[in-house]
Amino acid sequence: MKILVLLRQVPDLVEDLEVDDSGKALDVSEIKFKLNEYDEHALEEAILLKERGEADEVVALTQEGEGSEKVLYTALAKGATLAKSIAISGEASDSAQFAKLMAEAAKAEGGDMIMVGVQSVDDRDGQLAPIVAASLDMPCISAVTGVKVSGNTASIFKEYSGGIMAEFEADLPAVIGIQAAEQPPRYAPVSKIKQIQDSAEIGSLSASSSNGASSIEVLALAPPPKGEGAKMLDSGKDLLDVLKDLGVA
Amino acid sequence: MLTSYEQIAFILLIIVCGAIAFQRFNELIAIVRKGQPAAHNTEFIIRLIKALVDVGAQKTIAKSRPVSSTFHALIFFGFSFYVIVNVNDILEAYVHGWTTVASTNPIAQTFNILSDLFSMAVLSGVVFFLIRRFVFKPKAFEFNPNVKLEPGVAAGGIKRDSLIVGVFILVHVGSRWLGTVFHLAEKQHFDPFMPTASVVAPLFYNSAGLEVGIHVAWWLAMGLIVMFLPYFPKSKHIHLMIAPLNLAFKRDNAFGELEKPANKSKPGAKELNDLPLNRVLNAYACIMCNRCQEVCPAHESGAPLSPGALEINKRYYINRNAKALAGENGTADALLDYAISEDGVWACTTCFACANICPVGNEPIMDLIDMRRNQVFDAQMPAELADALRGLDEQGNSLGESARKRSGWTKPLDFKVKDATKDEVKYLWFVGDYASYNQNCLDNTRKFAEILNEAGIDFGIMGKKEKSAGNDVRRAGEEGLFEVLAESNIEAMNECNFEEVITTDPHTFNTIKNEYPALGGEFKVNHYSTFLLDMINSGKINLKKKLDIRATYHDPCYLGRYNGIYKAPRELMEKCGVDVVEMPRNKSNSFCCGAGGGRIWIPDHEDVKKRPSENRMEEASTLGVEYFAVACPKDMTMFSDAIKTVGLEGKMQTVDIVDLVWQAMGLDSKNGQEASSEKSAEAEKSTNNQADLNKINVSLN
Repeated sequence: MKILVLLRQVPDLVEDLEVDDSGKALDVSEIKFKLNEYDEHALEEAILLKERGEADEVVALTQEGEGSEKVLYTALAKGATLAKSIAISGEASDSAQFAKLMAEAAKAEGGDMIMVGVQSVDDRDGQLAPIVAASLDMPCISAVTGVKVSGNTASIFKEYSGGIMAEFEADLPAVIGIQAAEQPPRYAPVSKIKQIQDSAEIGSLSASSSNGASSIEVLALAPPPKGEGAKMLDSGKDLLDVLKDLGVA
Repeated sequence: MLTSYEQIAFILLIIVCGAIAFQRFNELIAIVRKGQPAAHNTEFIIRLIKALVDVGAQKTIAKSRPVSSTFHALIFFGFSFYVIVNVNDILEAYVHGWTTVASTNPIAQTFNILSDLFSMAVLSGVVFFLIRRFVFKPKAFEFNPNVKLEPGVAAGGIKRDSLIVGVFILVHVGSRWLGTVFHLAEKQHFDPFMPTASVVAPLFYNSAGLEVGIHVAWWLAMGLIVMFLPYFPKSKHIHLMIAPLNLAFKRDNAFGELEKPANKSKPGAKELNDLPLNRVLNAYACIMCNRCQEVCPAHESGAPLSPGALEINKRYYINRNAKALAGENGTADALLDYAISEDGVWACTTCFACANICPVGNEPIMDLIDMRRNQVFDAQMPAELADALRGLDEQGNSLGESARKRSGWTKPLDFKVKDATKDEVKYLWFVGDYASYNQNCLDNTRKFAEILNEAGIDFGIMGKKEKSAGNDVRRAGEEGLFEVLAESNIEAMNECNFEEVITTDPHTFNTIKNEYPALGGEFKVNHYSTFLLDMINSGKINLKKKLDIRATYHDPCYLGRYNGIYKAPRELMEKCGVDVVEMPRNKSNSFCCGAGGGRIWIPDHEDVKKRPSENRMEEASTLGVEYFAVACPKDMTMFSDAIKTVGLEGKMQTVDIVDLVWQAMGLDSKNGQEASSEKSAEAEKSTNNQADLNKINVSLN
């Protein structure tokens, strides 16, 4: 049983984001990227399956670029068996194109299960899992909180609002969008990452963007307009005055 | 003199008991030697001599518990002399006519008076300790119920061992003394050089069976010693041999410098053998006095950690598994299986009080840090600590803040703080995480900047190039991340042009001073307490007024115990017109706030009844002072919280020593004029006794 985990780097929201001069995209020169939090959960779930003996291999994949090596070495330090970076020729200008490129790389690598984070700060729609699944003609279940594998089938657990739990069964191969792993993602100690850097090799895959131009065009990107702020009132009378001014009292 | 049958029996006893004891000693040596090499073993003989001198002077034990220490000294000196007494008694048993009783030889007379008095000294000491342990049962001997205990310890092993050793000494010395009484009674002689025995002897004048009594007393004294030999290597009594060795192995580098992990591919300690051999030995130096536990903030708070129990558990485990441990394969047990619980490992604040107070030079704190290193390497740690470490890795601070906003605190200042990464400065101010980001600390950070600015001191900061100095990262066991942080800081600092480093954070101060040099960062670093005092003494800083307040001062662990800076902050406060009132636990005996060693990132254990900071605040509240002065940004946040949780709001106020200097320089009135009308109005609203407090609190923005 071989699991592929697709890892994405996303802007670290601890920094203030800025829009570039075009007014249509983020200014990436000042942005610090970090591994998508949901992807960390996907990796954790995959490693848990391996530790439980339900999977044999966990292959971490990420797009080649700045910081990709650290992402992959960290995945290896946590327990992934193999790590490969995906060289993308051309540019993915929307999340659907990106998903197709990932699907291409995943197909080349080959695996029984593809795990991805359910969404990311730059993919709130959670498109990656369904588009990868559609591209590879595999079943897809998203917003998953637990996976069990037995032979060629997987039991997949999903939590709905209101505390309802659902259990699915899927034939493998399948694509799974992880919302939360069964335990918080583990910490990768820096000294272990350093050791891995000295001993492990990172493989490579490639994917070509042959999908043409995106059918989606960004018209404008801007921070939300600033509110006028709150006014602190000293007494109930002040409140009454405000309400009177507004004509509601 | 013994009969020849007795003489043969005694020799046989020595052979049998000696052989058993010898084998047990050999086992122990084999087990200790399986540990990692001791870091500090050069010039061992010189170290051992120094240790013996310290032991001879009872120097290390005199640090606390004066009464017990005095009685210990009585036993120690008495027992030391008893080596000569034992030799004499063997001569008496085997050499015809050898006796010192009633002798007129001055050497024999000296021997007599010393052995008579030292017998009394030992007996009174042992009686004291037996009564203390078994009648008064001090609380210090009780472990928190959640502390992990090795089965032998849990089954009451400590009491049993203490009783055996106590009774052994009592019988050994008591019988020897009684023997001299019988000798005097037989001779019906009053020997002024054997005063206590001579006083009692007349009770036995003309008693029948004195000769038998002398033989019985001899056997109880000397036979018992020999019979005790096989038990000795497993008993607490062995501390008299191991303690000097242990003290000789004690490290002589700065307290604040941790050793690098011996094995990088498998850092820290999982099993006994992963510890350096001197720390395996620690278990046998331990006399189970629990002084360490008594000063441990974690144990005091109710957490499942007792530094004493850690050592005692190690010893009982080794005793029970000595054969297997000494054998080729050892055992498969992890320290976490018997020595301490995982929660216990994470409960340590690394305050160093345990190691500081230990009379035999044990460092249980170092075992804990080694165990943390192992845990971290296996990714086993509290989730909150993992989050903090992730933040430190990604942004260089533990507060989850943006690295780019590290100098955000400077914005409200009405002058510009130099960027030391661009401009040459005399002093590089290493601000540190908490002083840079924590809301409780920002005012004080700005006040320090204002002081420097007012005094015309040329200083600058590194802004986003500065990362957490890594002191607590290292003590949380994340050695790799510590190195990354330290190397990044050292690189950034090397690119700056400055003469000296200043910092308000004792944790930062400690690691830059004691640990950066090993990574190639040689900087002269000053804590602001000594720095400000120097500036005042040299006239660069002018204090314009006396504050005329009473305050107590809390010694931060990493400033005081670790680096010995006690005087400067107190002197600084006095110069500001503060009447410094000491808490009962002060200076090297200061009680930790509970934040160190990464504890500030980890939530309290569920069993914690009273946080260390709350305990400390209650201690301060008995002094009748209104101010609780601190010299560490972490203390500012810990104690500001504690004041609220113990209900002392309005009665006690945490104040940073920098704030005192700032006020004494008159900067409060200068800034008061500039403060916004809103803030002034707020200050006016405050009640009279709060006026001063609010002055301190007036925000600068």
